[in-house]
Amino acid sequence: MSSHDTPVKWGDWIKELDDPAKARTKPEALDHISVLDCSYANMAGCFATSIFAELGAEVIRIEPPEGDPARSFSPFGYMHMDTGLGYLNEGRNKYHVTLNLKSAEGRKTFSVLAGKADILVETGMPGAMDEMGIGYRQLRELNPGLIYCAIYTYGQFGPKAGCGKADVDLVNQVYSGITSVSGERPDDPDHPTPSEVPTKQGNWMGWYAGGAWTAVAAMAALHYRTKSGKGQFIDISPAEAFGRCINYGLTYYQGFQDVIPRVGNYDVGVFPYTYFKCKDGFAFLSGFSDINWKALCTILGRPDLRDQYPTIFDRLNLDNMKQMYKEIEKWTMAHTYDEIYDAVMDYNKNVGQGVVVPGKISDPMDTMKAENWWVRQSFEKICDPHYKEMVITNHAWKMTETPPRVKWACRPVGADNDYIYNRKLGWGKVQIQTMKDQGVI
Amino acid sequence: MANEEYFKWAESLLDPAKTWEKPEALADIKIVELATLILGPSLPAYLSELGATVFKVELPGAGDTMRSLTPFAKFFRGCALGWLKEARNKYHLAIDVRVAEGKEIFSELVKRSDVVVENLRAGTMDRWGIGYRQLKEINPGIIYIALNGFGQWGPYLERPSYDAIAQSESGMAWISGFPDKLPMKSGIWLADYFGGLMGAAGVLGALAYRDRTGKGQYIEYSQAENLMLVMDWTWLYQHFTGKGRGRYGNRDVSICPSDIFPCKDQLVAIAAATDQQFKALCQAMNQPQLAADPRYATHVARLQEDNAVALLGIIRTWAAQKTFAEVDALACQYGFAADKLATGKDHFSDQHLIKRNFTYTVNDPMYGEIIEEGIAPKLSETPGRIKWAGKPVGFDNEYVLKRFLGMRTDRIQGLKERNVIGKWVDQPPGRRPPEGWDGKTGLILA
Repeated sequence: MSSHDTPVKWGDWIKELDDPAKARTKPEALDHISVLDCSYANMAGCFATSIFAELGAEVIRIEPPEGDPARSFSPFGYMHMDTGLGYLNEGRNKYHVTLNLKSAEGRKTFSVLAGKADILVETGMPGAMDEMGIGYRQLRELNPGLIYCAIYTYGQFGPKAGCGKADVDLVNQVYSGITSVSGERPDDPDHPTPSEVPTKQGNWMGWYAGGAWTAVAAMAALHYRTKSGKGQFIDISPAEAFGRCINYGLTYYQGFQDVIPRVGNYDVGVFPYTYFKCKDGFAFLSGFSDINWKALCTILGRPDLRDQYPTIFDRLNLDNMKQMYKEIEKWTMAHTYDEIYDAVMDYNKNVGQGVVVPGKISDPMDTMKAENWWVRQSFEKICDPHYKEMVITNHAWKMTETPPRVKWACRPVGADNDYIYNRKLGWGKVQIQTMKDQGVI
Repeated sequence: MANEEYFKWAESLLDPAKTWEKPEALADIKIVELATLILGPSLPAYLSELGATVFKVELPGAGDTMRSLTPFAKFFRGCALGWLKEARNKYHLAIDVRVAEGKEIFSELVKRSDVVVENLRAGTMDRWGIGYRQLKEINPGIIYIALNGFGQWGPYLERPSYDAIAQSESGMAWISGFPDKLPMKSGIWLADYFGGLMGAAGVLGALAYRDRTGKGQYIEYSQAENLMLVMDWTWLYQHFTGKGRGRYGNRDVSICPSDIFPCKDQLVAIAAATDQQFKALCQAMNQPQLAADPRYATHVARLQEDNAVALLGIIRTWAAQKTFAEVDALACQYGFAADKLATGKDHFSDQHLIKRNFTYTVNDPMYGEIIEEGIAPKLSETPGRIKWAGKPVGFDNEYVLKRFLGMRTDRIQGLKERNVIGKWVDQPPGRRPPEGWDGKTGLILA
């Protein structure tokens, strides 16, 4: 081939355009947008506004004078410079101010800030902001373009909205319907062990799903506003946000009057597609469709398994799954992860009839050591002006024009009072002191 | 407690019953999807609920592999349930994009669209001549997102991936489940569904930029990286302490109390994230002195291992003597968090979720009433909605080519004859119209 027939290789070409190493030299998608975040003990709100802030929006975090209780969310109570690690990870690029919304002056100040904001995120009990005179009903009169997002497990309307229960990640996870289909099933149904129960995701997955849907809905509303000039009220339940991620709960019940059983690491629609113990850890292996199952059985040197379970109907029977699992595990237990990976990739490359996909069940310590994630800047070391050196994870979007970026990790309680109240309200030293004396900030 | 008047107002503003009287946020946005399974297809499905027009392009014949994926191989009205939910609101086209004329139609669609979503192996679209490098020449405003396991470049480039691998390589599986069991794979395709959702956020960020500048862009997206982003305090904990994060079962070791307990009749999740909620729980347990005990008085104290174990033990003992209904009533009265572990059956009859359009009845012209997990965010001005559930392979070919590309009937006929466009096959199941289809129902411009 002549040289003009061989353009730059795709991976090289796109890396030149989207390498996050260049992110900090590029414009930002939302740097025209101003956001108020008055999340309280709720990481769904904090995650939503991290998304805005990493895309360039000015985000002002409003905390009560004593700070948001979310600052104490931390494993075993471990604190870094008085800040819990969960919060420290999600203070990204946000200005942190304090404001006492229980005082009249505080509410007045809040209204002025909200009058100039594009997006507002709050996580109070439904109606609490309204009762204080700073809910959407009042603020939209001041600012008809405002996009007001209210986050609460049971939402702003419906029979359970007024129940009075608190919004905590775990409860979002269980109400979503996802916990009931996750976790190990009892080996002996008559004697389940304490760990053979429905099981939550280890992270704050309910809150993250709530935050993600908040960001999606608010940005869709922003697009609508560019044409119509109209703001709106957005009601988000993190439980419903996470529940939208269910594979097939409701329709399965409609069709078969049954619930999807909890099957541990199996998948009721695909087998094998699961984790196995191996000599030195755990490995994922798949081989579902007939051709891929044949490939797996060839790698295992077990053509008999293929003959025994020839169709997907045989392989989607729970009792058969257990049998196949035991047989496959015999092979994985005799090999290290690297041997398994090499055997499978060698088959894929050199035989190539069907594909078996291998994967490592990585301890997060190993994940943090793997070169791949550092090369791609999924992990990045940053030096925060206050909290100093730390490791953050970047957003998965590698964008060619407006890539996201983390400028600072977090701020202490009220750290930006002087700057933000000066810039937004024209307060100087004297006014700030007065507000402090009155307990407003 | 919030007053009744507020809820009346909120309901009047947000009532899903008024959905069809209102406009859609993304009504002017067109998306071309060339994607299979869940990671790629869920993204346009989410945006379609907010009004985007989606052209799902499949290969003629068997189409998307996902059309085969259904629990225990049970099909419902001829549909695989793994496929059905994310097929909503989409026009279904079957075009052979591997041949020149197919590429041409695909490019014409992209020229008239705003977003391209694909989840093929890195570089495939480029090799086919319909990647970002080529498409941005015909439509500089295009927002192109490519989603996969490990991205478009880097050491893991050659590695195939699945949802379960993103869960395992990220460390998400390792931190989920119980210490005496294997790392837990979620009961859902977490990396796929949540990957598509965060991908949608990236697309809307790019759209905000395009609304101001007219400029499109390319978004590279790895679903494993997306899960790493949401593993909360994992990385900072490891960075500061040098200790690895383990598995803690249903207990949240960063919020205390927060765990799942057996009560008299079933399991119940109980949690309190603030001192106020904790006090409420103590009162409900009739042990108000706990809130003043120095071991439990502050959240940081409650989180200390010994204190946490002791406190969770107290709650466990208390919960064991109550029914779920009793715990729930107390949670409502006092204001801590509690709920049972809902199932698909619970969602099916939950009047709250039905009222809120989460439990959603899709009125499909061809499949009839289909009940699905529906609309997550409720928007007052531009509420989300589902118009139809899904369509057989190639079902909307004629309509889309005529309506959006202005093609003449004889050209469409020629494309069919040359097998550039096509329809479903009868086998394997999941591709064709439902049993007893009259050959006409659901077809547009038939």
